[in-house]
Amino acid sequence: MKPNLVYLTGGSLISLLLGIIVTIIIPAQDPAGPSASAQPYSEEESRGRDIYLREGCHYCHTQQVREPEAGRGMVHQRGDIGPESVPGDFYHQSPVFWGTLRQGMDLAHVASRPGIGDNAGWHELHFRNPRAVSPGTVMPSYDYLSAEEIQSLTAYILTLR
Amino acid sequence: MFRLVSLEPGSASLRFCYAAVFWLIVPGVLGLILATFLYLPAVADSLPLAVKPYLSFGRLRPAHVNVAIFGWLSQVYFAAILFILPRLTRTPLYSERIAHANWWLWNLMVAGSLVSLPMGLTQGREYAEMIWPLDLLFVLNIVLLAVNIWGTVARRREPKIYVSIWNFMAATMVMVPIYAVGNKIWDPSGAYRGMNDNIVNYFYVHNLFNAWFTTAGVGLALYLLPKLSGKALYSHRLGLWGLWSVWTGQHHQLYSPAPDWLEYLTIVFSILAAVPTTAFMVNFFMTMRSRWHLAAEDVALRFLVTGAIFWGLTCVQGVSHSFRTFSMVVHFTNWVVGHSHLAFVASYSFWAFALTYLMVRELTGRAAYSRRLMEWHYWLTTLGMLIFMISMWVAGLIQGQNWSTYSIPFLQTVITMKPYFGARLLGGAMAGIGILCFAENVRRAARSRQPVTAPTHAWSGQ
Repeated sequence: MKPNLVYLTGGSLISLLLGIIVTIIIPAQDPAGPSASAQPYSEEESRGRDIYLREGCHYCHTQQVREPEAGRGMVHQRGDIGPESVPGDFYHQSPVFWGTLRQGMDLAHVASRPGIGDNAGWHELHFRNPRAVSPGTVMPSYDYLSAEEIQSLTAYILTLR
Repeated sequence: MFRLVSLEPGSASLRFCYAAVFWLIVPGVLGLILATFLYLPAVADSLPLAVKPYLSFGRLRPAHVNVAIFGWLSQVYFAAILFILPRLTRTPLYSERIAHANWWLWNLMVAGSLVSLPMGLTQGREYAEMIWPLDLLFVLNIVLLAVNIWGTVARRREPKIYVSIWNFMAATMVMVPIYAVGNKIWDPSGAYRGMNDNIVNYFYVHNLFNAWFTTAGVGLALYLLPKLSGKALYSHRLGLWGLWSVWTGQHHQLYSPAPDWLEYLTIVFSILAAVPTTAFMVNFFMTMRSRWHLAAEDVALRFLVTGAIFWGLTCVQGVSHSFRTFSMVVHFTNWVVGHSHLAFVASYSFWAFALTYLMVRELTGRAAYSRRLMEWHYWLTTLGMLIFMISMWVAGLIQGQNWSTYSIPFLQTVITMKPYFGARLLGGAMAGIGILCFAENVRRAARSRQPVTAPTHAWSGQ
């Protein structure tokens, strides 16, 4: 091979390898232990999480509270977005549902919002007919899910404390 | 007669062109459905139960993205790389057979994603949703493409390797490990969990843009530019600058639970990315100097130039998002939707339109294009995308500001989006009609029996 071909191949691979070491392998060396809110999922909660994944809820809902908005951001009331997300919150999760877009509200601590987020009945109603309980919302209705599926999904949502 | 494999030079490239145009219709339609659902949720509510799950927003959204970037855009990349290689190396393609195998396997993957994603079969990570067997197909396809690229280069009769070829070689070589690592294909259940799961995902997401869409895309643009403007590239050195410095980091998750040092590192690399992007823009505009008038006559060149301007804006936005203060305002808002369409539709797809027009004409040898349809394609797509993107940017800034008042109920900030969702639907529909003009134009070229009348270098349609 000509020298510039060697430079091209070698340079690209070295820069890629360095990227993998620095941005993937090193951060993985010090995994955080579970935080207080991260509990292992029950079978039903786990099924609910799979439904959340299957239905792509994470395309419209983040599960990630950033530092500047922590304790101040408003969902229903000022500050109820909850505390800043820390690595330990996601200890039991793969994939994580951090998300990139908030067409809907952040759900990292949804089950800590009194009267609404912590209310299983409200969630079940909301899944079936979102506009009946939240006029103006753009969330699709999930009335095609079975009663068991809605129950599992709700059980998962209630783990987001 | 349609054969599984053809050994005729350019036949695989042409198939990639046709398949790309075919798949482009799918994300267009899906995008319009999604935009309609956000503007008028009652439409989604009123769907019959039998189809509702498969048309659910959260399932169609990844199908829209995957078919757009892999079914349409990547296939134009495949077509163009296979088209350009023999021309720049003055040697036949290493293997037309491998290229056809590539075509079948790539389209199998795209079709697989279009079936599996609406069924809810997903890995749930952004741009990495495709299930494990499709992941394997992806890697195999890039390996096959790399064999063709490196094999052709090894047999080349032209001693000088033009900058585009460097880009293709680099892009395919690094894409294999990037995809394999980023999708953790040795452990589909997820080799990393929690925070590290997201870190690996965004390593992949950013490098899919950088290593594949940008590195290969810049190579394509630097091929088209002298070809359509009839003027040699202003500087080969500047072109190579772009090649060597496109690696930036994961600036997509600022203020996330990931370590602060990692965020700062990626911010530094993102600012450094301004250097190669500026080099590309300088090179582009210096080459175009004294040739701007050609863009008025030649629609393909106009697409290339407009795409380059939008590409510059993509990079300005990309660097500015890498600052925490700006990211805090626009991240999670519809601004991001505007940005991703700026990159994938208004920049890379605009280059892909120019490439497709050029390739179909040169490969079929027929000039059956309607100039009028091309103009409709250009203006509807350009104006439509401007309406789409500006409405999303304005919407995003409003959302970001509303959230940071910490005193407006979230639902109210959703209701505020309604007019912008309406404008986006309008812009998207215009771009959609533009795309139909494009597809019809290509279809006419494919079916026409009319020979090329006057093959001109600075090509302009009829």
